[in-house]
Amino acid sequence: MSNTRHRTWWKALAVLFALTLIAAACGSDDDGGDDGTNGDDTETESSGDETSNDDSSDEEAAGDDGGEEAMADVNGDGVLQVGIMGECEGPFGGFHEDVVGGASLAFIERAGATSNSATSALDGFSGASVAGVDIELVGIGCGDDTPDTAIQEIRRLIEQDGSEVILGPLSGDESIAMANFAKDNPQITFINGTAGAQETTLQIQAENYFRFNGDGAQWNAGVGDILHNTAGWDTAVVIADDYSFGWTSAAGFIAEFCAAGGDVVQRVFPPLGTTDYSSFVAQLPDPDEVDGYFWVVGGTGTQASLEAFVNAKGDLNGEQHAGNLFFNPGLATALGPGIAGAYVGGFASLPGDVTSPEIEAYVASANSAWESLPGALSANEPADPSVALTFGFGYSYYVAGLALIEGIEASGGDISPAALQAALGGLTLDAPYGSITLDENRQAIVDAAVQQLVLGDDGEVVSRTVAIVPGVDQTFGGVFSPDTPPPSRDDPGCAQADLPWIGNAIPVVDGVPQN
Amino acid sequence: MTAPSGRVVAVVAVVAVMIVMPAVGSEFFVTFVLTRTLILGIAAATIAFLSGYGGMTSMAQLLMYGIAGFMIGNFSVSEAGSKGLKLGIDPWLSVIAALAITTVVALLLGAISSRTTGIYYLMLTFIFAVIGFFFFGQVTTFSGFGGITGIDPPGVFADQPLRLYYLALGLSVAAYLGLVALVRTPFGLALQGIRDEPVRMAALGWNVPLHRTLAFTLMGVVAGVAGVLNVWWNGQIDPQSISIGPTIDLLIIAVIGGMARVEGAWLGAFVFVAANNYLRSIPLIDAVGITEARFNTVIGVLVLLIVVLSPDGITGLIERTRRAATPAVDPEAARSA
Repeated sequence: MSNTRHRTWWKALAVLFALTLIAAACGSDDDGGDDGTNGDDTETESSGDETSNDDSSDEEAAGDDGGEEAMADVNGDGVLQVGIMGECEGPFGGFHEDVVGGASLAFIERAGATSNSATSALDGFSGASVAGVDIELVGIGCGDDTPDTAIQEIRRLIEQDGSEVILGPLSGDESIAMANFAKDNPQITFINGTAGAQETTLQIQAENYFRFNGDGAQWNAGVGDILHNTAGWDTAVVIADDYSFGWTSAAGFIAEFCAAGGDVVQRVFPPLGTTDYSSFVAQLPDPDEVDGYFWVVGGTGTQASLEAFVNAKGDLNGEQHAGNLFFNPGLATALGPGIAGAYVGGFASLPGDVTSPEIEAYVASANSAWESLPGALSANEPADPSVALTFGFGYSYYVAGLALIEGIEASGGDISPAALQAALGGLTLDAPYGSITLDENRQAIVDAAVQQLVLGDDGEVVSRTVAIVPGVDQTFGGVFSPDTPPPSRDDPGCAQADLPWIGNAIPVVDGVPQN
Repeated sequence: MTAPSGRVVAVVAVVAVMIVMPAVGSEFFVTFVLTRTLILGIAAATIAFLSGYGGMTSMAQLLMYGIAGFMIGNFSVSEAGSKGLKLGIDPWLSVIAALAITTVVALLLGAISSRTTGIYYLMLTFIFAVIGFFFFGQVTTFSGFGGITGIDPPGVFADQPLRLYYLALGLSVAAYLGLVALVRTPFGLALQGIRDEPVRMAALGWNVPLHRTLAFTLMGVVAGVAGVLNVWWNGQIDPQSISIGPTIDLLIIAVIGGMARVEGAWLGAFVFVAANNYLRSIPLIDAVGITEARFNTVIGVLVLLIVVLSPDGITGLIERTRRAATPAVDPEAARSA
């Protein structure tokens, strides 16, 4: 009796299984149809968009009825839904307020939005409108520096919250995964946040992925030249995070240092998120065996790695250490005054010694948008918003938001994916820390700033600008191309070459470029 | 004919609901939440099976899932900018090769761990998981810490998330039927005997290590199938996907659902995935300090509650509630449930 009963129910389950398989075979038609419809809209809009960008923006601006474009956006509601992809966990989790604040500031400053909180950017903003288009912040993605989580958060932002534009991500590997994801989702527009991996734009080349910040190599332009020709380094060791940004940043230094005639004698790559760096520091030559150490260890690892060096090899000194340290005041206190003199690669914005009316206006607008922000530079304690937003993380996201706003303006309020993406590709962005244009891979051409840590008047270590390398493009003077292997533990090799800016960087004295 | 057991009715009802779910649920709920639930459910079911019927709490199931995923990535991807071997072979051929490699690795690791039990088995398999994480992180030939991106499923599933959902549902049902059927085979019965009395079973002539090895291998393959689904669904895999955190997450899923019942794995997966995606959307929840960054805290509290209040998970809770509601239980049905 029991067996018979069980057999009946096994049969029922088996039938259900068969039904499932049948449904799998034909159940996708509806879904495909939906996607197809959207896709078709996109295709139609995109025909001829490359030549008609300026024309269409004029027409739309003149027409100003907004009715037609209201039907053309992805969700078909005439409102542009925007998601911000940040990191609330992992090595860069402390910068969550910074990056969300940065992106939000663009809308508060330029699109009439108001912040939903006076003391945190994470509550979002409301009331943004540009060229007759309402912009709605629908979600904030919470990454943890892994591509896996990034993709799942992006999908949540798009599929659940309805984002049509994504501002972000923060970190290199996330951006590579997202650029690949972008290829499969052409109707969504992606504007990179801070992520600086080279492959994201140079190799993957997704048509709907835009990066208005430099990659890790571009940011380091000028450092190798100065270290070899001014600081006198002939040999160097590179210690870099073992992921795409670390490799890209190291690649910029290696390419330039070797081009100028230096030699990189060893490369050590600790995994991102390492907490105990002692075994990696142990692999390094002693200070009397090499001219200098170039560090590309970011996030929570910066301080831990340098402290491991102090424990194993002795005090840090500015003559022998350089890097893309993401320098901040907390780090200065921890490292002590001995680090003064170290050269540091640029990171999107400029140190406080360089001022201009645009920078002052930016600082003022940041400080008026919120009473305070608990950014990473103030150890996540409340501080003036400009503390967080003049640093590279917050600033890069601000630039991404600014690009979106200017893109909507340039398209005359046409937020169909094709029109918006065409407009973004043609932008010249007059950002507070310098203007930015895009190359054919939708990658920024930027001015890189070489910085140096010095002792300030009160004996504190501060950062100042020593040189600016204008117009650094991603190919790094031809060293990198879509056909060269992406930066990795072994690439690029160390070879002499002619980089256009070696010996031609513009010196900066007391915050004033000498050109 | 006696009424079917509540367990069977519940399983059939849930599967029926899931078949029609795309017609009523939102696209995100179906192609993201439910698809991920099904994929994690298959993987967690292997933990529940090994633990419940073999007495082996394996921490290496996510490694098997990851190995299959990494192999798919290495074999099927050829795009510029990706990592790994970039062989670019046919996706279906990649599946066969990936599962073959997963099987061999599972057989090897299963054999190594077959003579240990209890906490030592857990520790040994946990060590495998950690080795796997660092292997794929450090050996850039196969991945590197950045992982492999741009993994496309075979053409029939490309840009067809609903088809992938039904595939995951079909494979979940197949895995469930297979695991429940396996329990009743001579192999399954012997495995349960080994779970309860390994020495006595050995004395009776059963090859205890061989049974453990084969059980681990089989579950490795099932977890590998989930791993294949995962990379098709997510489009990428990186070492962090199989690091210590996610490894423990999978065990948590099995614990939430209930280790004594294979179907609990899918239930646990649903609770885990739904909490991860919807917790932050509950109005005013951030006012009590629960933001998206506090997901692990909430899941931790949930696990604590489960372990204290219902050690056999949600399935155990449901069963006890049902028994309390119907005092006169047919003893035969209770025994076979």
